[in-house]
Amino acid sequence: MTSLSRRTMLAGAGATALFGGTAASARIDPASLTPMVGPGYRPQDPDERGMWQQMARVEEEIAGSNLLVQDPALNRYLQGLVGKVGGPATSDLRVYLARVPEFNAMMFPTGFAVVFTGLLLRMRDEAQLAGVLAHESSHFLLKHQLRQWRDTRRKTDIYSFASMLGGVVGGAAGYYTGNLDQLAQLGTILTLLRYNRQLEAEADALGIKLIAQAGYAPLSMAETWQQLIGEIELSAAVRRKRPDRGYSIFADHPAPRDRMIDLTASATGLTVPGRRYDRGRERYLAAIAAIRPTLLDDQVKLNDAGASQYVIQTLAQDGWNGLLRFYEGESLRLRNTPDYDARAALSYAAAVAYPDAPADAWRWHGIALMKAGRRDESHAALQRYLALAPSAPDAPFVRQMLAS
Amino acid sequence: MRRQVPLLALAALSVGGCVQTQQYADLQFAPPQGDYKLLVLRPDIQVGAVTTGGLVEARADWTEQARANVIAALRAQQAGRGGQTLILDRRDSLAAVPAEQVAELERLNAAVDQSIALHKYSGVSLPTKRRRGLDYTLGSDAVRFGQRTGYDYALFLHAEDSFASQGRVALQVLGIAGCFIGFCAPNVGGAGQFAYASLVDLRTGEVVWFNVLQAGSQVAGLKMGDLRTPDGAAQMVERLLGLMKPGREVRRAQAAQRARP
Repeated sequence: MTSLSRRTMLAGAGATALFGGTAASARIDPASLTPMVGPGYRPQDPDERGMWQQMARVEEEIAGSNLLVQDPALNRYLQGLVGKVGGPATSDLRVYLARVPEFNAMMFPTGFAVVFTGLLLRMRDEAQLAGVLAHESSHFLLKHQLRQWRDTRRKTDIYSFASMLGGVVGGAAGYYTGNLDQLAQLGTILTLLRYNRQLEAEADALGIKLIAQAGYAPLSMAETWQQLIGEIELSAAVRRKRPDRGYSIFADHPAPRDRMIDLTASATGLTVPGRRYDRGRERYLAAIAAIRPTLLDDQVKLNDAGASQYVIQTLAQDGWNGLLRFYEGESLRLRNTPDYDARAALSYAAAVAYPDAPADAWRWHGIALMKAGRRDESHAALQRYLALAPSAPDAPFVRQMLAS
Repeated sequence: MRRQVPLLALAALSVGGCVQTQQYADLQFAPPQGDYKLLVLRPDIQVGAVTTGGLVEARADWTEQARANVIAALRAQQAGRGGQTLILDRRDSLAAVPAEQVAELERLNAAVDQSIALHKYSGVSLPTKRRRGLDYTLGSDAVRFGQRTGYDYALFLHAEDSFASQGRVALQVLGIAGCFIGFCAPNVGGAGQFAYASLVDLRTGEVVWFNVLQAGSQVAGLKMGDLRTPDGAAQMVERLLGLMKPGREVRRAQAAQRARP
């Protein structure tokens, strides 16, 4: 292996600096951004038309995917909400809800977004969800995918030409440029990632402006990131791993903590003192009521105990109920040790005290009582389970157990 | 010593381009002839420009041109074989089946095609499928699809084509110029054509024939076919579908027949 000469290192650093370096960027002022897309926007240039044509086929596939949640009322609700925070593109945006238990949403260059159910689970109110949708809308409003493509095209063009020219000049001068070329290549990759982080920061900045205009509490976006940080940390702590905080020059998004800090600062500027902001919590809970058990079930079955615990406890800050207590119990039971089984039993016992306890809470409460040797109470709980879920797959088995 | 360099560069240019196909067929496959009904499911065509940096930029106008050319070429070619051909451009243009069912067949086929690409072309061969020709099926869904539509075969076709931008050509010129002073990079690569097709027998549900076409050159600016022109599209269709090889057992039977006096 050839060692790098000092001259090569300096030249490589120069090449990297040429593309703009990789230092952290300052917060973007929401007031500095305006949408680049108006109502009924159509692609303008050959590269944009090519992108739109490819995306038409992608959207057709997504629209017909069997992962989509087919709940007309919920889909109407999401469509209405993205409409409220879509700025000038309000009537052009489309939202697809996919059943994926992960905290994510994405926007495609032609104005359709895919929202994962894991996101809906984690949102405490409409203001938080509006923040995420506004962030995604902003990607479309600021033509991010197109600008990203053009940036990539420009930088790889420059790199290829510079690399070839460097080789030729080096060849003529009898100087080996391979190491320099590798450094320039790394520099190009780093600056592409840096540009992507800048676009994410832009989407945060325009997004917070959009929700403030729509009358939602600007601070809700920062809260979402605060929640994500907490979840990542507890998930890692339970698995005895170091949390991946995303502070890397190779990251394609800004670190969650940086986003939270920037969004908090922007929120301070956008919040009107003395104004009462509607968080839309009741509306939000009513919209997701039908699928909330599924959302919790999908999360708990990931068997990421720390994340599940954090999510459930975060949602319970607005008040415990039978559903949350039951899934708290499920998450603890899946950890499968006697200690956690005992804690799960307490959660099931707490769950059945609420009127909205799911039938399964009564079953697991009954089983826990049985294990504790409290036969009569156990039978009563299991009778209740059978009364609530007479056609459950295990109902004949439970009946047999009660008869013997 | 220096004098040889341009000669080497020329030699590299002359071997820079190539066209190759590799087809697999079911053991009992006999290419459709005479009175058969063929359904072509939404030919998937993409044409783009190769940027200086080597990325492919999709071009909507070229793609539409190429799609029209390929469809026309397909129609002409199938008519020559005596078949009745319907080319679906949209999923909802079949009266007998809903668009969703066409989509499902397309997705199933895409998954099977991926599997064929992996196990037949990418070198990850499966011991259970060795020396058995093309042993893949779309199953009873495809049979039901055939019964409802009345078609004997379904053809799936995917084609990509790309052309070097001026910047890419300039980059190559620079690479060749370098050969005269001791830094030689004549093969930056330029345009390329890639296509594959699979034929499904809708009476049995089996994928009976599969072919992959690759045409490209190491020389930016040199075209090995051009889907944007009617001639180029006809050439691609002919290269991909023209010489359908029968399955091994059918070939053996034919050879035995010929050997008999």
